[in-house]
Amino acid sequence: MSERLTTSVELARSDAPSWSVRTWLDRFGMVLILPVLLGIGGIISPAFVSPDNLSNLLLQFAPLAIVAMGQALVMIVHGLDLSVASMMATAAVIATSLSGSAGGVVAVFAVALLVAVAIGLLNGFLVTKRQVSPFLATLATMILLQGFRFAYTQGAPSGNVPTLLRTLGAGKFHGIPYNTLVLLALAAVLAVLLHRSAFGRRIFIVGGNPVTGRLFGIRSDLVATACYVISSCLAAVAGLILSGYVGLVDNWVGQGYELDSIVACVVGQVSLQGGRGSILGALTGAGMIVVIANEVLLLGVPIQVQLIIKGAVIVIAAALYAGREIGPDH
Amino acid sequence: MTEPVGIRVDMPSWLRSNVGLAAVLVLIGAVCAVGAAVSDRFLSFNNFLNVFEQTTDLALVSIGQTLTILSGGIDLSVGSLISLASCLTSGLINNNPDRIIPVVLSVLALGTLVGFVNAGLVVVLRVHPLIVTLGMGAVLQGVTLLYALGPVGRVPRGFNFLAYGRVYGLPLGATIAALLCLLIALVLRYLPLGRQIYALGDDANSARLVGLRRTRILMLVYGTSGFCSAATGLYLAARFGVGQPYTGVNYTLASITPVVLGGTLLSGGRGGVVGTLLGAFLIALLNNLLNFMDVSKHYQLVAQALIIILAVSVYVERRRMA
Repeated sequence: MSERLTTSVELARSDAPSWSVRTWLDRFGMVLILPVLLGIGGIISPAFVSPDNLSNLLLQFAPLAIVAMGQALVMIVHGLDLSVASMMATAAVIATSLSGSAGGVVAVFAVALLVAVAIGLLNGFLVTKRQVSPFLATLATMILLQGFRFAYTQGAPSGNVPTLLRTLGAGKFHGIPYNTLVLLALAAVLAVLLHRSAFGRRIFIVGGNPVTGRLFGIRSDLVATACYVISSCLAAVAGLILSGYVGLVDNWVGQGYELDSIVACVVGQVSLQGGRGSILGALTGAGMIVVIANEVLLLGVPIQVQLIIKGAVIVIAAALYAGREIGPDH
Repeated sequence: MTEPVGIRVDMPSWLRSNVGLAAVLVLIGAVCAVGAAVSDRFLSFNNFLNVFEQTTDLALVSIGQTLTILSGGIDLSVGSLISLASCLTSGLINNNPDRIIPVVLSVLALGTLVGFVNAGLVVVLRVHPLIVTLGMGAVLQGVTLLYALGPVGRVPRGFNFLAYGRVYGLPLGATIAALLCLLIALVLRYLPLGRQIYALGDDANSARLVGLRRTRILMLVYGTSGFCSAATGLYLAARFGVGQPYTGVNYTLASITPVVLGGTLLSGGRGGVVGTLLGAFLIALLNNLLNFMDVSKHYQLVAQALIIILAVSVYVERRRMA
């Protein structure tokens, strides 16, 4: 059974079984864009590639990358998660409101993850059992979380970000941010889960070819719901880290991350049509967004122009990377 | 598969294409029933006119959004375009009544042009509309902020007639939105172009095989969406008396809610604009009811989310039965 699953996945991803340079490039080649982008930054300004700036880049990279990995899982099962930004803000609000309590950071993580699991289950339930389109289901939970958050904080969150979270979000260990270490650990676990486990294979099959999945007896509802839960939990962790980085909390921590994470995935060759993608792709896409945003900043252009460049880059990158697989009819 | 959905007359399709309308009407009825129990004034004609008036902005933008979704795409640039349109309106008119007509016309033309560019990029670059319009949204927000970092210009005294004026007792802006909706509904139902939009959204491959001109259809669809967003921007400038660079930011995702509430499938090819108008009316009516009940604005969001979940879950049940 498991051997057959492997074969089908490899066919679905049209990977040749041999390890030629070509397949290696197909799989990992996109990472090479990052050194190129960093090189361009170095030409614009030598300060860009200084260890200090690189370490700051990592600091900003981690939250987006964590969210993007969850988004990638959901997109591979042919879904979409618009509730991640709202989840991030909710986790941040939980962090400040529990900061005075006895359990401290442990309590913060426990409550935030509990809420995240609930939201993930709700997303999964709506999408799989009620067959609501993922866009809409997660849009609804996004508004729902936002409403509860506003009602709870009465529009103005109060309290402080716990010190330990600040260290986690902004602290560095010999120049390497702690949040990057968290990211690396999560990325390793998720990469194994997605690319080296039976569960991961099921994710690809459910997203790429649901009929085959059903014939193999895969319980696609469970697989998809698990992806939504993982995405929500990662968003909660990213929200906690980001609140630690920013140092203060309002109702909009993580605003824009829902769309940025989708863009990161698309740029990183995760298919909007499901069934294709990788953790490495999500990381690469997130890296591109952070690096490009920083380079634009470095050019000294005003924030308005940054938005214009960002929009143009999104479309161009998608045209270069994702255009072919979407095909002539979409 | 080559026959466009939405114009078949056999029973199941007839049922299917009207289930959305039926569900929205049921929900509107439910809100009215609760409203009647809460206050005698809720069901008054005047209150209905007020709610109708408050529907204008959401109705305008989501009518255009309906077309893009019907065609199998989506337009995520509407929010930024609304902001840009409202800033340009008040900034260019700048309290000079003589400029009203040229500025209004050019803002509407600009909105349509942005839609054309969206469609052109979708066709030429072969990128999913979600990404194209998202990128366009970022670009337009940048342009808006280049033009104005804060509230800009002023509209002349008479211009707010668009937002607050009543013609024969009917609110002007909302009536315009309703007439636009009617016009588009007729086009969708009776003109070949309308059927082609459904066909394209239902099955892009078959649409291509029967020789539909995708580029032309998408141009018209996204052009209309841009036009509607620009009109929404004009309306908001008239309502607030001034253009603001972030005034449209919430409309990007909010414009999708009435579309889906009205029974249009996000996957395209099924639904219509009348349902969207009713969906927008339902949201305004719900907020109105919560105001009557003195519910905090924060919980209005919760209620809105719950009604979306309720509505879309009900559709599934009905779709299966149909």
